[in-house]
Amino acid sequence: MSTTTDVGAAIAPRRFRREIPIQYGMAALVVVLVAAPLLPILYQSILDGALYDSSARLTLGNFARLAETAGFGGVLWNTFLLALLSTVVAQLFGTAAAILFGRTDIPGARTLGELFLWPMYLSALVLSFGWYSIYGPAGYVTVFWQSMFGEAPWSLYSIGGMAMIAGVSQAPLAYLYCLSSAGMTDPTLEEAARVAGAGTFRTMWRITLPLMMPAIAYSAVLNFTIGLELLSVPLIFGEPAGITVLTTFLYNISAASPRPDHGLVATAAALMLVVIVFLVWLQSRLLGNTRRFVTLGGKATRPRPFRLGALRWPLFAICAVYILLSGVAPIGMLVLRAFTSFLSPMVPLADVLTLENFEMLWREPVYARSITNSFIVSLFGAALATVLIGMVALIVHRSEFRFRGLVHYAALFPRAIPGVVAGIGFFYAFALVPGLGGIRNSIWILVIAFTMRFIPTGLGAVAPMLLQVSPDLDRAARVQGADWWTTTRRIMTPLMRPALVACYTVLFISFFKEYSTAIFLFAPGSEVVGTALLQAWIQGEVGVVAGLATIQVFVIAVCITTARAIFGVRLHG
Amino acid sequence: MADLKIEGLVRRFGTVRAVDDVSIHVADGEFVTLLGPSGCGKSTTLAAVAGLDRPDGGRITVGGKTYFDSARGIYLPPESRGCGLVFQSYALWPHMTVADNVAFPLTLRKVKTADRKRRIAEVLALVEMEPYADRYPHMLSGGQQQRVALARTLVYQPSILLLDEPLSNLDAKLRDRARAWLAELRTRLGLTTIYVTHDQIEALSLSDRIVVMSAGRIAQLGSPQDIYERPADPFVADFIGTTNFLPAKVAALTGGVATLELADGQRVEVTADRPPVAGSRVTLAFRPEQMRAATAGEASGAEGSVIATRVLSRSYIGGRWQVALDLADAPIRLETEVPPTGDELHLWLPRAGCILFAGASNGAA
Repeated sequence: MSTTTDVGAAIAPRRFRREIPIQYGMAALVVVLVAAPLLPILYQSILDGALYDSSARLTLGNFARLAETAGFGGVLWNTFLLALLSTVVAQLFGTAAAILFGRTDIPGARTLGELFLWPMYLSALVLSFGWYSIYGPAGYVTVFWQSMFGEAPWSLYSIGGMAMIAGVSQAPLAYLYCLSSAGMTDPTLEEAARVAGAGTFRTMWRITLPLMMPAIAYSAVLNFTIGLELLSVPLIFGEPAGITVLTTFLYNISAASPRPDHGLVATAAALMLVVIVFLVWLQSRLLGNTRRFVTLGGKATRPRPFRLGALRWPLFAICAVYILLSGVAPIGMLVLRAFTSFLSPMVPLADVLTLENFEMLWREPVYARSITNSFIVSLFGAALATVLIGMVALIVHRSEFRFRGLVHYAALFPRAIPGVVAGIGFFYAFALVPGLGGIRNSIWILVIAFTMRFIPTGLGAVAPMLLQVSPDLDRAARVQGADWWTTTRRIMTPLMRPALVACYTVLFISFFKEYSTAIFLFAPGSEVVGTALLQAWIQGEVGVVAGLATIQVFVIAVCITTARAIFGVRLHG
Repeated sequence: MADLKIEGLVRRFGTVRAVDDVSIHVADGEFVTLLGPSGCGKSTTLAAVAGLDRPDGGRITVGGKTYFDSARGIYLPPESRGCGLVFQSYALWPHMTVADNVAFPLTLRKVKTADRKRRIAEVLALVEMEPYADRYPHMLSGGQQQRVALARTLVYQPSILLLDEPLSNLDAKLRDRARAWLAELRTRLGLTTIYVTHDQIEALSLSDRIVVMSAGRIAQLGSPQDIYERPADPFVADFIGTTNFLPAKVAALTGGVATLELADGQRVEVTADRPPVAGSRVTLAFRPEQMRAATAGEASGAEGSVIATRVLSRSYIGGRWQVALDLADAPIRLETEVPPTGDELHLWLPRAGCILFAGASNGAA
């Protein structure tokens, strides 16, 4: 090597280290983003007037007033009951599906499993409309049942009915957790039981199911939390029947109220926040795991499946009927309704086929705008959020940044902020800080709020893939003289590309179907599909609802298919 | 090029002292190996030199440049140190070709295109990888990847070269060849090198000096001959090569010759560098190649002693037999071309060359 000119091995240390402003800047951004909705709520909850009213004084009276609010005890009870029942439903279906599709030789297990997951990709709002069109008072099945056997024995306008819809939409989560737990279990444990003389069902009952218990318990707490946060189902079915839960209570006294009592709203939101923070803490205690949203990972190894024998086809039939009745039929009917003027078992289909609903979406500026806005928010918002999340992931997992632990904590904290609370909180935050009026009435407030909401979701997609990239690869660059920022750009970003595509896909879908945060924040001109759906529903425009829902389902389906086909993205474990 | 001084290096993980007051001075151009079992602190020491891990105390200087000094609060980030580090995993960037991988450190140093091309060609020629410049890392074999990793490090002429178990991911045959190649390259380049390994053959054959580490401390520092022939303690003796240990008592001491009484009363005479105290408990350590099966009727003499042992088992390992022997519950391993026939075997031990450690030990301590 003596023939070569000496280039000087060491690069002179930069007087200015570039990573410092970048890392501190990102950390500040995340902390501000997460604190923005929380602090105003906590502050407002101890004020006797409105947050922006300078004469407001500190008080604890709001807590007393909330406790004295007529029917508030009933609201809490309904909330608890709905969350509990929907969790029971979700765990039952999810666990059964995990064992049947994941561990037995049931025919078409793969396809059944895929279809079982579909409610997860759709918003509970759309699923609710689907169920309404089938099992509602004038629904297809209800009317059919009435013409055959008289009065239908079910009602969606009850705690039980709502728990059923919520449970079906949450069952995929239980399914995924149980499935990944089954995949990671040592198959020899089951084989040992078989060799010891236990039959198929005894082995399932005594070995497989108990081994799944941690996954069942964890996903149960997760689903209970989601049940508490749920807005769409109680808004659509609970309100008309006079069943109020905490989310709809908040909605009624804030967004839907002409003169909201801000002290009461903030106090109720703070109460909800405390409960959810506790539950999220409980989740982390249960699993010691930061994944609230199953997005990616899992192992491909599958132990030898159980033989169902003669029960194979009967069980298949039961599963097929479940999938048909819970997901395929409601969504199919919703899509069909979008292409018809009226839908009833009594009227021939050919007479009512029409594109009028879509023409209506095109004609009415509110609806057309909501679709355009949704696309802008999802396409660009998700891209911005992906950049932010990618940076956060790199700072948390691949830097020596002093406060990376704090950044990680802050970035995951939105798991504990329900969409309703985030919506109210951002509303206050933008009302409080002067000069943000321009953003408040535009779709950018939605982009900001959605980004905050889904940081943990995005991290869940990025982090596992990032952790698979050997730390030696960036260490090698550092030792050779690249600083943190050069390493990030030249080495880590190209290696993270699949993770970022997965993150973008997950965020696009999440942004496209989000409504609970948006209904507190949208203004005329900044409607999105979610808020337009609710507005159309309140105005009784069933055709428009079906049309918008169809568009949402179609966009999400295209997005998932593309991501899978082109990038090979796996959107769940 | 430069010398490396590590002084009083300490690294704690919780309450565990992974590196406990380690001081090493590596001269300019010297090749020093850190050798020890996993968890002995050798990789932590290397990471501290490279700047990948911040130690808790001590000082590291290379050629007068301070990398780390806990007393003065100096800690250079890895990119400002100018070390060359070859990783055990090679850490070739999978999204870059061989040429791009090698070009990266030059681009960082803003080397002009023409000069860069020439240097890349030179260094790839040095590691005999020129024809593979446009390949991606996944298209190369393990041995080829290792060469590219080395080329990527040598291309910017680092002040010191750090090698972290570079051969451990290669299969046995390839490892032998890579070792010979590395030994040849090392003589040609004359770089100050720290080599981390748990493989004693690599350590013995490549190094100027070896640092044997155990539980975060230096067990012995010396030339390969020192380490092998004059291990400082039973741990080093056991870790480097195969060593048999026999507990004994010093029965008599005449001149430089000690007469040892083994646990079952048999006697062995040895010359000791460090004469033991008469009557004290000692451990006699000797290498398998130092002893042999005694010929029929051979007796103890001035050259060596004959002792009787019991044969536990014998297994054929290709060309030779490995025989497990037992002497008053102390295990002895012997390799011989002729398998023992009976249950008993007489061993011949030389008087010179055996090592005595004070106290009772089986090498595991």
